[in-house]
Amino acid sequence: MSKKIILCRCEDVTAEDVERAARTGFSDLEEIKRYTGFGTGPCQGKECLRGIAAAVARLTGKSESEIRPFTSRPPLVPTEIKFFAGTPRR
Amino acid sequence: MRNLPAALERGRPVTIDFEGQSIATFEGEPVAVALFATGTRVLGRSPKYHRPRGLFCLDGHCGSCLLRVDGRPNVRSCMVPAREGLRCERQNAFPDAELDLLQAADWLFPKGMDHHRLMTGSRLGNELFVKLVRQMGGSGTLPDRPPSETPVVRNESVDVCVVGAGPAGLAAATAVAEARPGMRVVLIDEQDHTGGSLLAEPGGVELASARAAAAVRAGVRLWSCATAIAFYPEDGQDSVVADGPPGLLAVVTAQGLVRLAARRFLYATGSYDQNLPFPDNDRPGIISARACGRLVFRWGIRPAPRVIVVGDGTADTAFLARLYAGLDERGIAVQTVTLDQAQSGVGARGAVIAVATRPAPASELLRQHGAELRLDVAKGGFAPPVGPTFESTVAGVFAVGDVTGFRGTEIAYSDGRLAGVALAATL
Repeated sequence: MSKKIILCRCEDVTAEDVERAARTGFSDLEEIKRYTGFGTGPCQGKECLRGIAAAVARLTGKSESEIRPFTSRPPLVPTEIKFFAGTPRR
Repeated sequence: MRNLPAALERGRPVTIDFEGQSIATFEGEPVAVALFATGTRVLGRSPKYHRPRGLFCLDGHCGSCLLRVDGRPNVRSCMVPAREGLRCERQNAFPDAELDLLQAADWLFPKGMDHHRLMTGSRLGNELFVKLVRQMGGSGTLPDRPPSETPVVRNESVDVCVVGAGPAGLAAATAVAEARPGMRVVLIDEQDHTGGSLLAEPGGVELASARAAAAVRAGVRLWSCATAIAFYPEDGQDSVVADGPPGLLAVVTAQGLVRLAARRFLYATGSYDQNLPFPDNDRPGIISARACGRLVFRWGIRPAPRVIVVGDGTADTAFLARLYAGLDERGIAVQTVTLDQAQSGVGARGAVIAVATRPAPASELLRQHGAELRLDVAKGGFAPPVGPTFESTVAGVFAVGDVTGFRGTEIAYSDGRLAGVALAATL
């Protein structure tokens, strides 16, 4: 293993990736999610959102009140698609 | 390693199949725990750099212990109780997860792989590269076969739905049921045992059992092994619930999917264990401090003779004191290391590293309701602002406990009672 600081373990997003995204000009969590892929894996950001939000505040000089979470989309946990297929149609 | 008493009597001895190898365990013990107890640390490989992955939170949240179970991909192995003959395989590796040749990706890109700037000058080269990356990337492969049956879907309406049966949810549901006898109060929890973060503490299982029994006596309907996977605010126009927030909570249970409408929702979803940023912080064997507590106190596993705790000084000191006392009592040595010291590497041969930091509020369902969340890193992350009535910015939607910013198990319990009383007053 080469030395890496992993901020999002599901998608292998490193501290360096987030710094690069901030240097590129992204300062919003929604943008940084799309640029780096953080928060898009099986945990959906449960383990990385806070850490990356704190890193973004530090890198961009934004205050905490200026940082918004990215949109939370269902499902919250890995769920077999059969549960959605079973939904009755009307 | 399984030489400590478990909080509940262990199930009957069973054998699971782990990549052709027979692993002795007990019925009901989670697969991730069974593998850890028999010395398996690597549970798979990460999708991009193929770094080894192992259990981290042991609470169904982190996505680090995914296995292929009985031919189904990406199953959280900490949530799967062992049973005779269960078939488990690791994912994302060639030829196997211990010696994964694809980990060359990690060595080839020591500075990380910036996929925005990896393009070659040639169009054909780009197309071939994208094909290769798509073959190598991703997590798991398709299931062996389609599901044999379509799950049953049913609608249900209740007066009060409490999500999360940790200290806050147990107290709140009980208080509502006591204040409004006869009302339909359901308490939903994803785990097979109530208690939430109590399960990471010595004596927590017994305490949670007593509190759950009190909730049931008060008239609460307890749904264990039931996962609230999403709130759909635009759905459920057909479900008639007087004065409730519009929308449906989707709950996955062993029997199928429940579309749940409620007059009041109370989120006591607790908090997620977080990692800290230090080099190679994702190595298997690095687990959260609460996962360490779950292993030792709930499952009776001695993770190692020595536990090294890496902390940033923000973890709950009352919890850490109980954890350290419990480990000490069981003859497990504790060594503490600061985050600064961990920057230059942690010598962990023969030890397990436990990460102690403030957990993050589990606030997604409130977000899906449209409730306001504010970032407060000192409180753990994005939390809904709630006043003395515990109501969020969405009418009829309440929050209590760690989800509102870290509280710890004792304040969560006392706040839970207050929130239950405040909620009952609106019915």
